[in-house]
Amino acid sequence: MYIVIVGCSSVGYHLTKVLLTAGHEVTVVEKNQTRCQLLWDELGSVVIEGDGTDERILKSAGTARADVFVGAADLDETNLVACQIAKHVFQVPHTMSIIKDTKNEPLFEVLGIDVVVNATHLMVTALEEGVPGRPLLHLMNPRVPDLELVSVSIPADSGVVGKRLDEVELPPHSFISLVVKKDGANLPSNELVLESEDEVVAVTMTGEEHTLYEILTGV
Amino acid sequence: MDAIIYGCGRLASMLAPQLVQSGYTVTALDSDMSRLDSVVEEPQIKGVLIADPMMHDYLQEAHINSTELFLAISDDELQNALVAQVAKHIYNVPQVVCRLDSPQLQQLYSGLGLEVVGFSILNLFNDIQQAIRLD
Repeated sequence: MYIVIVGCSSVGYHLTKVLLTAGHEVTVVEKNQTRCQLLWDELGSVVIEGDGTDERILKSAGTARADVFVGAADLDETNLVACQIAKHVFQVPHTMSIIKDTKNEPLFEVLGIDVVVNATHLMVTALEEGVPGRPLLHLMNPRVPDLELVSVSIPADSGVVGKRLDEVELPPHSFISLVVKKDGANLPSNELVLESEDEVVAVTMTGEEHTLYEILTGV
Repeated sequence: MDAIIYGCGRLASMLAPQLVQSGYTVTALDSDMSRLDSVVEEPQIKGVLIADPMMHDYLQEAHINSTELFLAISDDELQNALVAQVAKHIYNVPQVVCRLDSPQLQQLYSGLGLEVVGFSILNLFNDIQQAIRLD
């Protein structure tokens, strides 16, 4: 595959190396002159210095024959415009972009960017997961606004330990989707008994997640 | 009728009073306090100071859901392209005007259905031709 990447800070740099190792042909466009020189020393002729939102630069990068285009620059607006040029001017069949502002995700999707990687959301989730105690994790950013997919770990002293699922009263818009026990995942059923250290995966609404959390972890 | 101006420069400070005169309630957005102040001089013009990670919250504070007119006229054409498309495609603002200065971007986004304004190299070219009477 021929892949053009715009932006060669940490994400673009590592992506370029991974894709080259995997045997792909890669060109990376980077605006910063100093960075370009350093990259040139290591990666050689795959680096082009220039503005990734300039049609002429993208043309010289061979974007017209690219199979995949990746916006990996630091600013969302750079990635959006670069991807839109790739898609509409050069007819690149597959465009991908990272985004920093979590709330820009729906826009990129509406505009037909094929893969949108919500960098901030991924990092925040990973950090959240690393906090000791692991109270409530957001598993993904669902398409529906205000809908949340969360995971709650049941502490030993929780009031729901030993209760059957039909005895646990949930908020109106919250639904348990999966209960992960030591022996594996269980689909919810009325008879399923909650135990300490179970991971409960639930669908909930933004306004209800705190209540759900209180019910599942409260003493 | 509500109008939002994204980007406060000389252009915005000329446009805002004109919009107020035509009956609009104007909200001006900028990340720079002094630029914002230069536009917000009348009570009918509200200013909202914006900062990067919460763009969508500021747009909602400016009542983008009910606004009739959105002018993306900051000095940064890439930001204009992004925010104008947010207004058009996410908040369905009826009229969105986007300032772009690069001819290539002007062509691309006109083709994608944005109402594009900006310096035109072609007009400049014609003006210069006329000025020096070159045929």
